[in-house]
Amino acid sequence: MINDFVFYPSHCIFLFVKKNYISKKMKKIAFALVLGISVFFAACETSDINPNDKNSVSLYFENLVGTDPVVLNTKTYTNASSEDFTISTFNYFVSNISLKKSDGTELKFADKYFLVKQSVESSHTITLPDVPAGDYTSVSFMVGVDSAKSVSDVSQRTGVLDPASYGTDNMYWSWNSGYIFFKMEGKSAKSTNAAKDYKFHIGGFGGMTAKTANNLRTVTLTMADLAKVRKNIAPEVHLAIDVQKVFKSTLKIAESNTIMNPTLGTAVANNYKDMFAVEHVHNDEM
Amino acid sequence: MKLKLGIVLVISILLWGCSKEETTEPDTPLVLFEKPSTFPNTSYKMESNPITEDGFLLGKKIFFDGKLSRDGTISCAECHNQPYAFTHHGHAQSHGIDGLVGPRNAPALQNLAWGKTFFWDGGVFDLDLFSLAPIENPVEMDEQIGNVLEKLRKDVTYPPMFKKAFGTEDITTERFLKSLSQFMLTLVSANSKYDLYKAGKASFSADEKAGLTLFNEKGCASCHPEPLFTDESFRSNGLPTDFFRNFVDTGRYRITELKEDKYKFKVPSLRNIEYTFPYMHDGRFISLEDVLDHYADGNMANLETLDPIFKQNTKIGIALNQKEKSQIIAFLKTLTDESFLKDKRFVP
Ligand code: HEC
Ligand code: HEC
Repeated sequence: MINDFVFYPSHCIFLFVKKNYISKKMKKIAFALVLGISVFFAACETSDINPNDKNSVSLYFENLVGTDPVVLNTKTYTNASSEDFTISTFNYFVSNISLKKSDGTELKFADKYFLVKQSVESSHTITLPDVPAGDYTSVSFMVGVDSAKSVSDVSQRTGVLDPASYGTDNMYWSWNSGYIFFKMEGKSAKSTNAAKDYKFHIGGFGGMTAKTANNLRTVTLTMADLAKVRKNIAPEVHLAIDVQKVFKSTLKIAESNTIMNPTLGTAVANNYKDMFAVEHVHNDEM
Repeated sequence: MKLKLGIVLVISILLWGCSKEETTEPDTPLVLFEKPSTFPNTSYKMESNPITEDGFLLGKKIFFDGKLSRDGTISCAECHNQPYAFTHHGHAQSHGIDGLVGPRNAPALQNLAWGKTFFWDGGVFDLDLFSLAPIENPVEMDEQIGNVLEKLRKDVTYPPMFKKAFGTEDITTERFLKSLSQFMLTLVSANSKYDLYKAGKASFSADEKAGLTLFNEKGCASCHPEPLFTDESFRSNGLPTDFFRNFVDTGRYRITELKEDKYKFKVPSLRNIEYTFPYMHDGRFISLEDVLDHYADGNMANLETLDPIFKQNTKIGIALNQKEKSQIIAFLKTLTDESFLKDKRFVP
């Protein structure tokens, strides 16, 4: 309840308005107060979690540069090494998601693969259905496509894993069988190539016929707010992804404008695994 | 009256339909894949993609279709010609779209069911995933697989063929790739003079016999062992690395990025070698004489990754005199499989 009055970035206000909370409260403050208090108590009374209840949990990936939402192509940013850069492409695979409860039990979402693309708004939200009621304390996921899936039969490669689904924005290396886990491209005056651009294509699942660089990274984030799944609460976990972390101070466009092989990609993967953070969790009642 | 006529018409159509079906039933069903008795088990999981006549015919049509390329001009068969064991005849390095040239020589397409990896550097580990590479390669077909599927969907001949092969008209990545695999898996070459000789059905000349003995005793067979004439490993046979003026092909290293794999390439099969010239990953040798000279004349590059087998003598390489070279070549020519090169099943 209280959560509803805290200020959040633009995305949350959007939710707010959509649900018409503001106007209702403006008009009938007294009523809202009474309602709020009674619901508050009601919530306390029913805090017994019914394990048979289920609801969905959604993860919202908001890509930011520092604290500014990413704007493709037109906005120029500056990285930690004082290099200018724009972003024309910013994509990554998310898989092997799991949610952990305070009692340590873990809920795994096997065989679910997602491709978050900055250019496709709908891809920023991942909805996990049928999550049993409970208080979830952490979320974990892999950035990339795990090795088992990376070597699987073509029949397993559907949806975002279907090479035919990428068009010009390819996320698959056909010459070195494997998915591109993370892709970031843009322009920079600091680039030493003629096109003045940079391309970071990070892949490498460890190799099938030889042991090669493994750039799969698992990210585990605790949720201070807890994600409280109830019959009438479908929590939304708001993740803030800071693109600046891709560079940290170690990756300079002037030194590497094109990274497309797994060994060079390792340093970038080590950087971007730290770009994810849980900003907050919405536990709004439906 | 009208009704009666209708019934008669329907019955006659039915009968005609039946009799037609009977007459078009092929007398002998096409045998598409048989494991030669001398071959090991396949690497390809045959049960994951059972070869059917309809799947094979679909794969063959796709293999010969220029629609797979951006401008409709380049089919797989453009660079893989059957009379030359599906190599790119007359091209040291393969020419693709817009006349562009890639750095590598097109290898023979044969016995692919036994392949553990594909490409000279082994970058692809599953035949089903292979065809994405030439389609997307900017100097080969320069097209996106999504566009290819869209083109096939719009072509009236394809949806019914997919239905026959896979049950519905849906054209998916999996079906597209697996039908191409079905075609490629049937490219089995195991009926050369050498195979007949082994089976006691043909005899070798004295030179061919001597050549076979030398091939085994001089160590060729340690990398090119019977019956596939490749052990699928990655090795360096000491090719100088400065063949191209401004490009060094690091081979297997490109995939593994391991120092010990620098300049190593997949050992190619020697079946049909008489017809797969020019030779080596970059097509640098025109003739088998050139190849044997490379092995024997001490001109190998003494690379750090050069296979130890070539470092046993004071002069690097394999000691062979002229006669021995020509005997080995005589033997290599027994690996020609005319029935494969002329097999009508593979003709569009
Ligand atoms: C422009 C010429 C060209 C076209 C078009 C082409 N290929 Fe190739 N193919 C090559 C070359 C060159 C290689 C070797 C490349 C390498 O190893 O890097 C090759 C390698 C192969 C191999 C690997 C064989 C092995 O033993 O490693 C297969 C299989 C193959 N091609 C099938 C196809 C199919 C199927 C198509 C059509 C979808 C196709 N090719 C289109 C030139 C071509
Ligand atoms: C240490 C392993 C090794 C040994 C021993 C060896 N080869 Fe090879 N051979 C290779 C490799 C690897 C290639 C491909 C090299 C490349 O293209 O970079 C090759 C290529 C060839 C080719 C060209 C095939 C083609 O399609 O282009 C011929 C012919 C050949 N070898 C014959 C022989 C003969 C004959 C001998 C014995 C005198 C022999 N090889 C010994 C590893 C070996």
